[in-house]
Amino acid sequence: MSENKSVTFWEKLGTIDYRWLYALSLLFTIIPILHPLGLPVQVSEPTKGYCEAINKLPPGSVVAVSFGASLALLDEQEAQYLATWKILFERHMKVIFYSTYADSPLVLQKHLGSMVKPEDYGYTYGEDYVVLGYAPLGESGEASFAQNIQGVYPKDQNGTPLGEIPMMKDIKDQSGIDLLIFMYTSCTDVEWPVRQWVVPYHKPTIVATLGCCGPMAAPYYPTQIQGFLSGSGMGTELEVYSGNPGPGAMMSDAKNLGILPFLLFFILGNVSYLGKRYAWGKSKEVK
Amino acid sequence: MTLFVDILGGLVGTFFIISVLSMLWKDNPIFRIGQQAIIGATMAHYILLNFKSALNNAVLPMLSGTWWLFIPLLLGVLMYTRLKNDIAWVARYPTGVLVGVGTGVMIAGTLRGQIIDQAKNTVIDLTNSVVSGNMTGMINTLLIAIGVVTAISFFTFTREHVGVLGISAKIGRIFLMVSLGANWSGEIVWYLTQLIGRLSWIINTVIKTMLLGG
Repeated sequence: MSENKSVTFWEKLGTIDYRWLYALSLLFTIIPILHPLGLPVQVSEPTKGYCEAINKLPPGSVVAVSFGASLALLDEQEAQYLATWKILFERHMKVIFYSTYADSPLVLQKHLGSMVKPEDYGYTYGEDYVVLGYAPLGESGEASFAQNIQGVYPKDQNGTPLGEIPMMKDIKDQSGIDLLIFMYTSCTDVEWPVRQWVVPYHKPTIVATLGCCGPMAAPYYPTQIQGFLSGSGMGTELEVYSGNPGPGAMMSDAKNLGILPFLLFFILGNVSYLGKRYAWGKSKEVK
Repeated sequence: MTLFVDILGGLVGTFFIISVLSMLWKDNPIFRIGQQAIIGATMAHYILLNFKSALNNAVLPMLSGTWWLFIPLLLGVLMYTRLKNDIAWVARYPTGVLVGVGTGVMIAGTLRGQIIDQAKNTVIDLTNSVVSGNMTGMINTLLIAIGVVTAISFFTFTREHVGVLGISAKIGRIFLMVSLGANWSGEIVWYLTQLIGRLSWIINTVIKTMLLGG
């Protein structure tokens, strides 16, 4: 290959060092972290549906939270989780937390232990909420849970048999649960609650997931699931809609700015591609 | 008051975050140290938690009288026969059970929830918006209906994509590209969120709170 081969402007445009993108993105995300901008947030219909599905339940209703949080993905969903816990506790719901991912108990421990303490809302463990711990459920586990809770979780996370926990004495299966909140990180998992809770029992269900999984949850809204959250953006919407400020606001500001370099590079990449494809200004070669 | 242990934890966490982010510049030994340490710690956590889960939910109840739990336990153990070539075929039995149970559990819900109900809702939404005269809803549901039909036609491989089917498949391809684009943009934003979360933790928690006592 000739070393003197000249490259066109379009080729140069398409081969800008990708590290510029990272550097620009870092710069743009740090600004709102240091100085929050308070950009406005528009609340979408699925977020309203998610919040209203909880709000319309009378106090004392039983809500099951299938908690599939991953530590590695926590930043994407923490705003959703914290806002949801606050809404549930403010509305005095009875909550059954059960973890389906190995990481989830750690996240729940951190949240309920220091960030949104149920006791601050007048909750008593075993009477108003219960944490069942971790079991590697999968879809068949979800199906079993709906049919027989004690069959899947004979004890809570502290090792207390469910039969000895006051709140769980009358809740044996899905019939004792008024709403399912399904939180997950693997996009296709949205099918689990639809197949195992919505279709057989018509159980009111809302889901919370990652930003990239939103398009896969959307087809089930609003007829099969009453609302959904995808990513920290909709977590921020929930914070705003429910009046519970949290980590989402800063995150949204930083995302709004941090995405700009990506958009710029998308445009440059496409202009470069089209320029090369249609040989715009072919005579203007640069060295 | 911030404890020394918290500061140490913050600094160690910061080191690992920066070591992973250093890959953005280029591959380097610090990145590999961070990567391997994180994978090691994660694996240890997963193995321990799953071992504990099997112990509490199967082994201990079996020992205390629920004898039939030895069946799923045995099936689980048989999975490890894959590690030895001459008996690897044994692992097909637990795999078969898993596949069978999985299929049995999901098949009814799939037919009803993901095919019949989805198709029904597509038509009902369109009809409702026409009846109610909601122009935005009508356009929206019409787009969805066209998207569903044309995207499905794209996956019709038993006939050549020519004529009406060809046009439909081409339109379906556009809908698929839009859908994949929406997924991908969500993915980009998600990666950005991870970066923001970690930077925020370093700046606000470690530097401002732990080190500067803010």
